[in-house]
Amino acid sequence: MSNAINTMLRGTTAVVGIGQTPFYKRGTSGQPALKLALQAIVSACEDAGIDPSDIDGFVSYGAERNDGQRMMPALNTKELRFGALVWTHGGGIPGALGLAATAIVTGQANVVAVYRAMSETGGQRLRVAVSQDDTAAQQLVNGLDGPAQMCAMRSMRLIEAEGVPARTLRDMALASYYHARRNPAAVGRGIELDESKYGSSRWISEPYRLFDCSRENDAGVACIVVSAQQAPYLRQPPAYLLGAPMGAARGWGMLEENHNPYWSAGFQGVAKRLWAETGYRPGDVDVAQIYENMTGMGVSAMIEHGFCSLENAAEFITFDNLIAPNGALPINTSGGNLAEGFIHGMSLVNEAVRQIRGTSPNQVPGAALSLMTGGPGDPVVSTALLGSADTL
Amino acid sequence: MQYSFHTHRITGGIGADDRYWEALEEGTFELPRCADCKRWMWPAHFRCGQCGCWQVLWEPVDPVGTVYAWTRCWYTFDRTTERAPDVPYVVVLAEIPAADGARVIGVLRGPEEQLRIGAPVRGHIDAPSAKTKGYAAIRWELAGK
Repeated sequence: MSNAINTMLRGTTAVVGIGQTPFYKRGTSGQPALKLALQAIVSACEDAGIDPSDIDGFVSYGAERNDGQRMMPALNTKELRFGALVWTHGGGIPGALGLAATAIVTGQANVVAVYRAMSETGGQRLRVAVSQDDTAAQQLVNGLDGPAQMCAMRSMRLIEAEGVPARTLRDMALASYYHARRNPAAVGRGIELDESKYGSSRWISEPYRLFDCSRENDAGVACIVVSAQQAPYLRQPPAYLLGAPMGAARGWGMLEENHNPYWSAGFQGVAKRLWAETGYRPGDVDVAQIYENMTGMGVSAMIEHGFCSLENAAEFITFDNLIAPNGALPINTSGGNLAEGFIHGMSLVNEAVRQIRGTSPNQVPGAALSLMTGGPGDPVVSTALLGSADTL
Repeated sequence: MQYSFHTHRITGGIGADDRYWEALEEGTFELPRCADCKRWMWPAHFRCGQCGCWQVLWEPVDPVGTVYAWTRCWYTFDRTTERAPDVPYVVVLAEIPAADGARVIGVLRGPEEQLRIGAPVRGHIDAPSAKTKGYAAIRWELAGK
C-alpha cells in the first residue's frame, strides 16, 4: 500500500459561511439541541448568502445526534445527498471539514453544513451525553470518569517525566481568558484571570485546576463548505481548506491508558501529514485555535504540531507568545473552549475562519494561515489548516 | 462461579477483558498474552494483531510495578459519585515490567508521601463494592525502596 502524500483535497473547498447561537450556561438555553443546530446552520447560510434549502450535505462528529434527515423539513431541503458522522469525540473536528471536502470533491454533495449543537436543557449532563457510554470498565471501576481525569494523568507525565513546566498550562489558560475579555460572545468575558487567581483556584484533578478545564455550554455552531470554484461568488472572503487529515498512528487509538507516547495528545501522525499535504511548516502559521478540553492537552498538541519541542516548550509556551496581535503564536483568539464556550470544539472552527476574514475580536493583522487542531487525547484526532486566497 | 461484575456490566471500551475481572474476583491478578507468539496484549483484545492468533492466554502475574502516571482527584464526576467520600483520592497508572510494561489502572491505598512517577508499587485486590461499580479491583500501594 502506498503512503504517498495525497494533496488532492488541498485548496479545493472553502468555508464560506459561519454561524452560531449565543453560548448559554449549560442547561439554560431553554431550547433543544436540534433547534440550536438549525439556528446555527441558518445563520451560517445567511452569512454566506446561501439558501438553506440548497444544503445537500450534513456532516458532524462525536456524539452529535441532530442528523440531516431530522432537519430537512425546517430547512426546506431539496435533496439530502450526503450525511456522515466522524467517529470519536472532539478529535473529529476538524476532520469533519475534511470529510465535507471529500464529499464535495467527489461530487457527492455541493453545499455541506458542518455543525455541532449541544443542550443540557431537557437532556443529560453534557459530559455524559458526549461520552456516549464508551468509557472502559478499567477506568470507571478505578475512579476515572471525566476526560479531565484521564487527561490529567497524561499531563502529569508531561510535567513529571518529560520536564515541561506546569506554568505552560497556566499560561495557556491566561491567554484564553485574556482574549475572551474582548469577545462580547464569550461566556468567560467577565473573568479577569491572573496568576494569583489561577494559582488559588481549586484542583479538579491534579495537575489541573478549575481554570485548566473547559466549561460546557448550550449552543449550536455551524459552518458551510462549498467548492473552491463556487466560493468566490458568495458573500464572504473564502477560508480555503488546505488540509484536514484525521487519524491515529500505531501506539494510539482506544488503548485504555496504554498509549505511546503517553504525554501525547495523539497528533504525531496527523500533524506530519498536515504539513506534508499543505506544503506549509509550523513557522508559517499566523494564528492557531488549539482545542483545549484541558490546558495540558493543548500544550501537548502545540508540541506535536512542531511549534516547539519537549525541550524548549518552556521558552515557547509563554503568555506573551500566545496572545494577539504580536505573540509568536496567538492561540484561541476568541477565548477558546476555556473562556469563549465549549461546543465540543466547533466554535474554534468559526474563529479560525474569522481570522482569515479579518473579523476576530482579537485579530492578528494580515492573518492568512489559520490552524485549528481537534480534540486532543482522543483515540482518533484531526487537524486542519485554513488559508486565504493568497495561500493557495 | 457467579461473578459480581456480570450483573453490573459496564459496556464501554474494548470489552475483551472479562477474564481480568473474573480472575480478580477469584483473588488473582492475571494479564493476557497471545497463545501463539506469547506477546502480552494489553488492553485485552480479540485477536493478536501481530501474528493473527485468536487465542488468548491469561497468566497470573505478580502485581508489582512502578508508577507510570498518576492524578489526585478532587472532584467526583457523574458516573463515579460513589467515590465522593474519598475525595481527594489518587489514581495510579502502574507499569508492570513482568507483562512487558502493560499499564494497569488502580486507586492508590495507604500513604502517599512517596508518590511520584517511577515509585515502586504493589497491588492488592479489593472485593466488589459500590465504589468499584460492582467489580473487583486492583489497588496499588506504594512499596517503598
